[in-house]
Amino acid sequence: MSDQPAANLLTVKDLKVRFPLKSSSIFAPKRYLYAVDGVSFSVTQGQALAIVGESGSGKTTTALAIARLIKAYAGQVQLQELDLLDLAGDDLRQARRRFQFIFQDPYSSLNPRLRAADIVAEPLAAMAADAKQAIVDELFQAVGLRPEQQRLFPHQFSGGQRQRLGIARAMAPKPQLIICDEPVSALDVAVQAQVLNLLRELQRQRGLTYLFISHDLGVVQHMCDQIAVMYLGQIVEFADRISLFKNPLHPYTRALLSAVPRVDPAMRGKSQRILLQGDPPDPANPPSGCRFVARCPVAEARCHSQPPALRRLASGQQVACHLVSDDAVSPLG
Amino acid sequence: MATQTILEVRDLTVELATRDGISPVIDGLSFEVGAGETLALVGESGCGKSMTALAVMGLVPHPIGRIAGGEIRFGSEDLVAVGEDRLRDIRGNDISMIFQEPMTSLNPVYSVGEQIAEVLRRHQGLNHKQARQHAVELLHAVGIPDAAARVSTYPHQMSGGQRQRVMIAMALACKPKILIADEPTTALDVTVQAQIFDLLRVLQRETGTAIVLITHDMGAVCELAERMMVMYAGRKVEEGTVDDVIANPRHPYTQGLISCVPHVTDDPSAERAPLVEISGIVPALRDFGADQCLFAARCRQVVARCAAERPVSNDFGSGHRVACWQAEVAS
Repeated sequence: MSDQPAANLLTVKDLKVRFPLKSSSIFAPKRYLYAVDGVSFSVTQGQALAIVGESGSGKTTTALAIARLIKAYAGQVQLQELDLLDLAGDDLRQARRRFQFIFQDPYSSLNPRLRAADIVAEPLAAMAADAKQAIVDELFQAVGLRPEQQRLFPHQFSGGQRQRLGIARAMAPKPQLIICDEPVSALDVAVQAQVLNLLRELQRQRGLTYLFISHDLGVVQHMCDQIAVMYLGQIVEFADRISLFKNPLHPYTRALLSAVPRVDPAMRGKSQRILLQGDPPDPANPPSGCRFVARCPVAEARCHSQPPALRRLASGQQVACHLVSDDAVSPLG
Repeated sequence: MATQTILEVRDLTVELATRDGISPVIDGLSFEVGAGETLALVGESGCGKSMTALAVMGLVPHPIGRIAGGEIRFGSEDLVAVGEDRLRDIRGNDISMIFQEPMTSLNPVYSVGEQIAEVLRRHQGLNHKQARQHAVELLHAVGIPDAAARVSTYPHQMSGGQRQRVMIAMALACKPKILIADEPTTALDVTVQAQIFDLLRVLQRETGTAIVLITHDMGAVCELAERMMVMYAGRKVEEGTVDDVIANPRHPYTQGLISCVPHVTDDPSAERAPLVEISGIVPALRDFGADQCLFAARCRQVVARCAAERPVSNDFGSGHRVACWQAEVAS
């Protein structure tokens, strides 16, 4: 691993994923839903980048496309020197060691017929048995499971322990990048803290890079260094964690942050909530201008016609909104 | 609380028959709900929050569960003692409930308008036409756009937030005295959650309904509730006004629940300390009911007495009650 902290481990350029829509007749032109529509970002080695957004914003689809678990329609995904979207067959299988996935649901993402030790050892199929066992022992200890639990089946573990097992499996091939898709949202509150602390500790010890998918802004604020906010398949704001929470620029980011209930008795009833009306528009028929225009409290005429591009401000924040000034002042003040 | 009490639960015990024998999933629970107030029930899953709600609704799963003792006083009646017919009159009329999963709690083969109208016909004796008309008004009141047309849509044609609005319309159709909301927003996005919270607040102001909010999210508690009750393993461990309990939690479990979740702040610091963990998990059902503090195995402040005696609830002023042997020492 490189010593330069600024090196990008993962670079995503103009990623697009589309799904065919049912057409009314076989002669009608094919229509597509662009679940991810031109997403670009990069993740610095050893850091954690979060993609946040509401359900249907395309954050999980982005993660799946990067991990080559669904097909991307266009774009580029670069993991150091590797172009992930170009790989196929054995090359792809070899490359998969370098990026691993932790899934949301610890109940359905583990094979119920395998013992815990075999689940963790599965990515290591080509190794000698005793080398494999040594790694399994080490990982069980690292994620806080007891050695005697290696013989158990997934149903004999609690939800939190299963997620630990999922983490151990992801760590097994010594990956550089781990994609965590809502890793704690299926867990009980008290167990969430245990798993989040474990993920941070493992990141520190092993110099891991995380791509973190979450809708829980509290978790994101705690876990991640950089944050990309997605809305309807596009990134509307990209910033480091301190800027994003201190000075959110895009009206959608503002609304999202203002909707999170605060645990502070002094703040009760004083929150300046920006209430969004209605639901997000149908992704199959996105608005022609800015995608947020119908729910935006400050939309102007040009927002209806010109889609805003993601631009970098002097402050380093990136935002896709016509109304954000160049010196990083949000239209909402 | 100056307001009058409308629901009073006294020494409620609910037993569940499991493979390991009979366990008290609710163990000597007492609490009150005042008219028009919002009380939050807080705790991890498996602490008895939902079972408490089911007991109040007379919906304890039969035959594996039964109310083994105590009373639930609603007005002049004891809901534990009244018959099923009377309960059916009360449910949906005087006390109603909204559930966590708005998809599975609506009937997929009836239009949403029909499902709301059914409540009105059953409890208010309206005829078909009146009930449908009133259903449109209710859908409008919960903020469904174009209610007159949406009244004949089916649940699958609506988004999660809209379905939850329909559930709320149905639950509030008869202007109940108590609305039990069991994790009403956990399945929803934060922006939709904020809409639902605002809706509940407005409707509560208009109808004077008391809300019992079941949740594990301290943010939701702070947002909606005036009083809160923390439950652990079927028992009440702490109770008080939200301001008191959040600012000065005295039970180690409450302290853990508040500090184990990373809360959003507007001004994050560069340093991030590890989250405070509550180690371990909720005890198994067979350990419920033991004559000791059931949180002792996970508690950082445990002393010998915790494993030997069941803690009694002490009042620390203005209704802030805590069941912990160490509460006085800690404060």
